[in-house]
Amino acid sequence: MITIDHLTKIYGSTTVLDIDQMEIPAGESFGLVGNNGAGKTTMFRCILDLIRPNTGTVKSRGANVAKRESWKEYTGSYLDDGFLIDFLTPEEYFTFVADIYGLTEGDIAAFFADFKEFFSNEILDKKKLIRDFSSGNRQRIGIAGALMPQPEILILDEPFISLDPTTQIRLKHMLRKLKEDKGVTMLISSHDLNHITEVCERIVVLHEGKAVHDLITNQDTLKVLKGYFAVS
Amino acid sequence: MFTTFLLLEWKSAKRASIWQKNLALNLVIGFFLFLALLYLLLLGFFIGKIIQEVYPGEDPVIIFNGFLIFYFFIDLFIRFMMQSLPEISLDSFLHLPIRKSTIIHYMVGRTILNFLNMAPLFIFVPVLFTLIEPEVGNFQAMYWMLALILLILGNTFLATYIKRMFGTKPLIVLALVLIIGALFALDKMGVFSFAQLSSQAFDAILRQPLYLLILLAWTILTYKLHYQFLKAHLYPEEVRIKKRREVHSLKQNRLLKSFGITGTIIMLEMKLYWRHKRTRTMIYMLPLFLGYGLFFYFQPMYMERDFVLQFVGVFMTGGMMLNYTNYAFGYESNYFDTLLTKNIDFQQYIWVKFVIAISIGIICYVLTIPYLFFGSRVLFINTAMFLYNIGILSYILLYFATFNKKRMDLSKGAAFNYQGVGASNWLAIIPAFLLPVLIQIPFQQMGIPDIGLVFVGCMGILGLILHKPLLNLIYKNFTSRKYIMASAFRERT
Repeated sequence: MITIDHLTKIYGSTTVLDIDQMEIPAGESFGLVGNNGAGKTTMFRCILDLIRPNTGTVKSRGANVAKRESWKEYTGSYLDDGFLIDFLTPEEYFTFVADIYGLTEGDIAAFFADFKEFFSNEILDKKKLIRDFSSGNRQRIGIAGALMPQPEILILDEPFISLDPTTQIRLKHMLRKLKEDKGVTMLISSHDLNHITEVCERIVVLHEGKAVHDLITNQDTLKVLKGYFAVS
Repeated sequence: MFTTFLLLEWKSAKRASIWQKNLALNLVIGFFLFLALLYLLLLGFFIGKIIQEVYPGEDPVIIFNGFLIFYFFIDLFIRFMMQSLPEISLDSFLHLPIRKSTIIHYMVGRTILNFLNMAPLFIFVPVLFTLIEPEVGNFQAMYWMLALILLILGNTFLATYIKRMFGTKPLIVLALVLIIGALFALDKMGVFSFAQLSSQAFDAILRQPLYLLILLAWTILTYKLHYQFLKAHLYPEEVRIKKRREVHSLKQNRLLKSFGITGTIIMLEMKLYWRHKRTRTMIYMLPLFLGYGLFFYFQPMYMERDFVLQFVGVFMTGGMMLNYTNYAFGYESNYFDTLLTKNIDFQQYIWVKFVIAISIGIICYVLTIPYLFFGSRVLFINTAMFLYNIGILSYILLYFATFNKKRMDLSKGAAFNYQGVGASNWLAIIPAFLLPVLIQIPFQQMGIPDIGLVFVGCMGILGLILHKPLLNLIYKNFTSRKYIMASAFRERT
């Protein structure tokens, strides 16, 4: 589904991303871990055509994301606050997303019903703008916005950060369900090794822009990862 | 401790990106500031002469002192509108072992270091030496100066106190305007001479310096008021001026909805403009642009010169358009990433920007039609310039807007806020405003100015007809520059 080929990104003299070959097949839940500056966000931004790589290409369903825009129709993403329109109310933001993707009234109603639990009375009917919400709640709005058009590829950068424990667990349930029921391809990065091993079937460790580990998740994965990140 | 605070503020001001990246703009601002101070200084030196001219035979000191009461009320008003409250970031200091009183003293005292406190000295010091001192002598002049300084300080503390307490509520502004208006009216109608009161008061100080103690008490009182207020409210959420209002979601109206994505983007822009102070104040500039003609149309000297009228025409029907297009993309810097990753057709997106730009042009044009009162030629020229604006200038402006790669922080206030303004942009745009005047020159030389105007107008119409390829050009430029824009917009300062 997503093919990365000789992808590099260089700022000044530091190479922040250097991935020779990587294939993320349709329906895979792909986890990305790595310390700060390992290149996780850079990789996601390349996949979303937000930065121009120095070399290489990212292909989504065989089409170069920098050349064709068809990937936008089936890709949902939330990387950071910049993906929210902060002077709208959450309701207005969701309406905006619905309009952009041409969702019907029925789709919107179904979306609000599906996310009722995830929002847990914190998001809707608050009569305030997104910029006035706490960071955890903004995160919830952003993730919901990414999921709203029912994407086939979902890209989330640190989705668990600043969510409360209950919402973290709900998010994990939701992601697993999306994969099982709808076969959504997911690319998720996280600093939390527990969460990521629970959600993802494949985990790649980035270090200084390079993929140093590529693991299929099993009982030992968490131990391997903890071993890798442990300070020696 | 105070020096540490000051040093921190100095660093934050110095490291704000605007100083580092925008030398040209800073030079321009600096130049105008210099000019303003020079004017004040000249006024200070010559005000004695001016008073003698206007009020021959009267004592200029008494007249000048009579003005002072009005001056201080107006000063209070200006301060209330313009003086920004010192915002040391409370959050980063309150948890440190610093006494609250130290922080408060700093917050109140810091208001003294302000341009509005320096500026009056540029008038008063020359007045002191040219007018007051020769007439009343050394010591008395010193008392006079001391009185003024105390009043300036009192005004500073009072204005910032009111501002902190109420914010810039329209009601307070109205009240201040009414008080000042009443002052002038009562004085003019001769009900009560405030001027006389003012000059008597200053006269008293000149004769009996002990009266200065009253002013000192007043200054201390205003300081205390401000101090006590802060002391009672030293929590970041209470000190902040911004009050949170309830926002009701706006439903897209049917008309816009029928336009599909175009309507969605227009709706988004309307909310953007309405929900940020900085953009709202832009809308208030409309009368300024539209009224521009009044400066010229009353004067026969300008009415005979086509190029003046042309420039006025371009400016009136294109000024607001420029205001919009220049930041057409910059205003969206906060959420540019979301636009790039969501399913938005950017050809359509640029089309929307274009439609909004020319709609603004059309509104301005319609509003300037009443200038027909000054003759049909005015309307003729304005129409030609309007067609040029929507058919040529609009593309040029949009094209240059894609070069604007400064992140706009819309959450900050608008007056004197140059954050996110690119000087290079403005410089590139000025020629575009002069172009129709230049095109006109050969026609003028040949003695057929009207044909020239028709020609300019036709160019505009041709531009409108060719909107597809022209907008495509802008779209191409936009797609090649979007990475640069996106990464610059991501830089939060």
